[in-house]
Amino acid sequence: MSLLSSALREYIQDRSAVKVLATLDGNDAPYAVVSPFLQLDEQGHLVHLELLEKSVTNRNLLRSLWFDRKISVSVGSYVIKGSPVKAHISGPVFRRYYEQVRCVLDDADLSCVWLIEPEEVVDETYATRKQQEEEQFPFSVHLDRLTN
Amino acid sequence: MRLALAGKTAPTPIDEVVRRYPDVPRLLVIKTDVQRRGVFYSDAALALLDETQHQTTGTHIFGARDGLIALRPESLLLRDGSSIITTPTPLEENPYVVDAKDGVPWLFDDGIPLEAVDYWPAPDFYARTSSSGVPMKNIVSARPQRLNIFPYRYCTFWNNNKGCSFCDIVSQLKKGGKELNIPAKLDPREVGDVIGEALKEPGRFSSVFLTSGSIVSGQEAFDDEVDYYIQILHEVGRHFKAPKFPSQIIGTAFTKKQLQRLYDETGLMSYTSDIEVLNEELFNKLCPGKAEWIGYREWKKRLVDAVEVFGPGRVNTGLVAGIELAGPHGFSSEDEALERTLDEAEELARQGVSTVFIVWSPRPDTPLGDQKNASLDYYIRLARGLHALRVKYRLPIGFDDYRHCGNHPDSDLSRLLPY
Ligand code: SF4
Repeated sequence: MSLLSSALREYIQDRSAVKVLATLDGNDAPYAVVSPFLQLDEQGHLVHLELLEKSVTNRNLLRSLWFDRKISVSVGSYVIKGSPVKAHISGPVFRRYYEQVRCVLDDADLSCVWLIEPEEVVDETYATRKQQEEEQFPFSVHLDRLTN
Repeated sequence: MRLALAGKTAPTPIDEVVRRYPDVPRLLVIKTDVQRRGVFYSDAALALLDETQHQTTGTHIFGARDGLIALRPESLLLRDGSSIITTPTPLEENPYVVDAKDGVPWLFDDGIPLEAVDYWPAPDFYARTSSSGVPMKNIVSARPQRLNIFPYRYCTFWNNNKGCSFCDIVSQLKKGGKELNIPAKLDPREVGDVIGEALKEPGRFSSVFLTSGSIVSGQEAFDDEVDYYIQILHEVGRHFKAPKFPSQIIGTAFTKKQLQRLYDETGLMSYTSDIEVLNEELFNKLCPGKAEWIGYREWKKRLVDAVEVFGPGRVNTGLVAGIELAGPHGFSSEDEALERTLDEAEELARQGVSTVFIVWSPRPDTPLGDQKNASLDYYIRLARGLHALRVKYRLPIGFDDYRHCGNHPDSDLSRLLPY
């Protein structure tokens, strides 16, 4: 069964929703960028279309794939943790996304089609997290909130 | 299939090397070792090969390690987008095996599955035929992102039997001419037409590459080779808006005047001239034609001259790594070979010339065909050493990287560099 709920899948496929991809650089410093083309493929991978070969994100994704480091994607109030598992630079999959990018952005190029395997979904919706926090960590609540 | 788990199986002999070099990705170690040991395709793997979708062997200027011309995958793509350019190798020589697993090709070592691989995708123009009736793929061939032009499949160093000791260009020409209908010398106009067809495919190619055997003739030695490249590059250039287009040539070490002509009169953007081995004595023994016509020191000088013409980060030289250890004249230890090679590579890097290597695969129709190549450890150390020189001297290698060539473990490492 997919890790991603159907609501989340729909949200990911919504072109107008903002999706942020966070990677780690060589010094383990986080680096987050908006991934405007982020989408799902038929196998349930998150697909990040990297337009620039030498971008920090492209190199960080490669480092993640090479050395087994996690990345995360934030979509609305959800954080999806995962691993890049494949970079397409040629072939039918690449071409399909290349044409997609070129339809949307004038004179754009596409460097890599990154497939990211989702491994964990964290629901960061405030109401959900607040309830969890208050149940699990009752000692971190300010008392004035609990008075009559 | 969950690709993320593809690399995590039982321990294999490469794991020891992976542990020793934590800065080198496992995929690169696998790639290098597959290049070193070659591959054998099982029947099930060959059944997954589809000529309408995949590139098959036969178009290359050099031959295979098993000496056969047969329908096999041209090469493999790993999941980091890099290629393994490797040759089919007989099972007795202990190659990696490509077999089918879950309906896709996988690399196996000693029965242990290592990685899923893709066969190189066939470009659209492979299905077409040129105006003279030759299949277009026999005129221009492809790598995942590169168009290959091998305009002249002979090398005149062989005229007096002074070709390089690891080279099978002439025997491959004989086989290719007979069995594959590949013209020995291409018509520039026809090359241009095929390039025009190839460029119609969206998102497929990001550079044009030319190499041929050396042509010693001309008013000045090698003028004919330069003239021929210029003719071909003119025909290629008519398809581009700008005067320069991403391109690379592997040519003989030309004089500065010849280099300047190549740069000024064509769209060429980068230049490679393979010195093959970084040691004067070995160069003289293993590359007697190059030694006779140009000489080791002059070869190096011309590489440095090329930096003035093409600019830093646009010139390199290639090594056939492993030949420096082969035969009675080779270095006696890998430590010595590494130290001496990197010393000379550094002298070139300081002057703006990058060095890349290919893993030597001994081919049957060559004088060194019965020798063994070096250890995996050696190749990994060499890759790290050459990459470190590019870092130290800030030399970009974008024209000869995993996208444009795919045959150099050292330039794969440079993918993480910001330049
Ligand atoms: S220069 Fe050497 S390696 Fe190149 S084609 Fe001639 S003989 Fe072969």
